[in-house]
Parts: sequence; structure tokens; C-alpha cells
Amino acid sequence: MDRKRFYVVHEEQPDRHVVYIKGELDLAAAEQFQRAVEPLAGDASKPLVIRLEELTYIDSTGIGMFVALLKTRKKQGAPFAIENVPPKVQRLFDLTGVSYLFSTMNDTTERIEGQS
Amino acid sequence: MKEHETVVQLSIPADAQFIDVARLTLYGLAAKMGFSYEEIEDMKVAVSEACNNAVLHAYNGRGGVIHLRFEMRADALSIIIKDEGKGFDYKRVSKQAAPLSAKPLEDVKAGGLGLFLMEALMDDVSVTTKGGTEVRLTKFRHRGEGEHAHDSISPSSVQEQA
Repeated sequence: MDRKRFYVVHEEQPDRHVVYIKGELDLAAAEQFQRAVEPLAGDASKPLVIRLEELTYIDSTGIGMFVALLKTRKKQGAPFAIENVPPKVQRLFDLTGVSYLFSTMNDTTERIEGQS
Repeated sequence: MKEHETVVQLSIPADAQFIDVARLTLYGLAAKMGFSYEEIEDMKVAVSEACNNAVLHAYNGRGGVIHLRFEMRADALSIIIKDEGKGFDYKRVSKQAAPLSAKPLEDVKAGGLGLFLMEALMDDVSVTTKGGTEVRLTKFRHRGEGEHAHDSISPSSVQEQA
């Protein structure tokens, strides 16, 4: 297939990794996203920020990958954020509970551990 | 009694590279029926989830076909997504069909999320597994918030438009 529907752009800044994802993050794009982001997720020395303003589609495939990234970063105690989430993507994050997972990550990790 | 129905059918390879074609077709038909942008976005995700399951579970990566049937009625759009592979265990997965926030982060798995989304985004979901899997997704017209204005058009105003 010639026409690409998904792009990942990595920008390494002095104090953080910024990743821009553009287009449709579906099952067909999953492997490309994984390959691009996995090495950055493993670098605990810098915060990782993924910017979604040009993300036009996501489903459980992409949502599952964000959850996996969140788990990896949390295990390392490394900061991770998603920014500029378009409304229709935000709606799916809210429905599935991803928003909640990210809010607990970014506020206080103690709160999750203190719940049980 | 079967009301008037227009049917469009599409068969695609059970390959992730073709699921966007199912979304494009859905978009075209749902827009023609007058569904809102939000409703169409919801249906795109639900249809893709059913196709994802067919690609990932029905044929184990070996080539197969996904049949889509779009049934357009005055009050609803139903999309039937059918494969001929080994049945995806919807009964087992449906027990895990829950939002992520219901579980602690350590236990979160993406499995079951696709089915959860189909149920959350459509008005009706039914699954039949006999000689493959058939998922039937239905969205009714004018169910969403802010759509009720259309329901209350008086008969006289409709006549004037006709």
C-alpha cells in the first residue's frame, strides 16, 4: 500500500522526548507505532510526551498501546503525558477509563497504591 | 413484517490494511442517511473493532474474507460483520468487557476493550457464532442528545417541504 495513513514524528528536546502522532492509529498502524515509541518508553532519564492534535482515529488497538506505555513508564517511575487530545479521541479515553488512568499517573501515584 | 430496507454489501480481505475501507464505506452510507458526525465516529470505531476481532482471531493471520452487510432503514442502520474463521470466544470475552477504570492499573489488559467499545458506542450489539462469527451492530436515528428537535417536526411542516 502506498498511501500512508499514519505518521510518527520524534523530536528529542534537551529535557524530554516529544512524539507527534498523525493520522489513523488502527490495527494496520500498530506495529509502526510500537517500533517508534518502544525505545523512547525505555529511556527513563527523560519525560515522554505524546502529542495527539493530529490523531484522526483511534480504537482499542491504540488505546491498549497507550495503557501498555503507561504501565512501562509507571514501573520505571518515569514521567509520561499525552497532550492536545482531540475531542473525539478524548471521548473514547473517557469511555474506556484511560483518562482516569492518566489522571492517577499524573497527580499522585500514592493515591492508587493507597486505595487497596 | 419487514419494513423497507436498502442493502449494501462489501467483502474485504481479513487483513488490517483493509479495515479503513470498511470505515470509509460506513462513513459514506451513514452520512447519506443523515447521521451526525459524532454518531458516525462512534460507528466507525464499533465496525473497526468487529473487523479487528475477525483479523486477529478468526483466521490466525492466514488469509480469509470479512463480509460486511449494511442494512439501511428509515429508523436505523445495522452493520453485520461476518467471518468464516474459527469463532472468536465472545462469551468468554464479554465477561471481561469492562472499562479500564474498573480495575487497578496492574490488572489492566486490552482484551475485552473492543467488545466493551462496541456495546458502549452502538444501540444494539448481538453476536452469533456458528460456522464463523457474525456481529450485528445497530444504531438508531435521532437517539442522541440534541437530536430530539428532529422528532418533533409537525406533520404540516413536513408537508410544506415535500
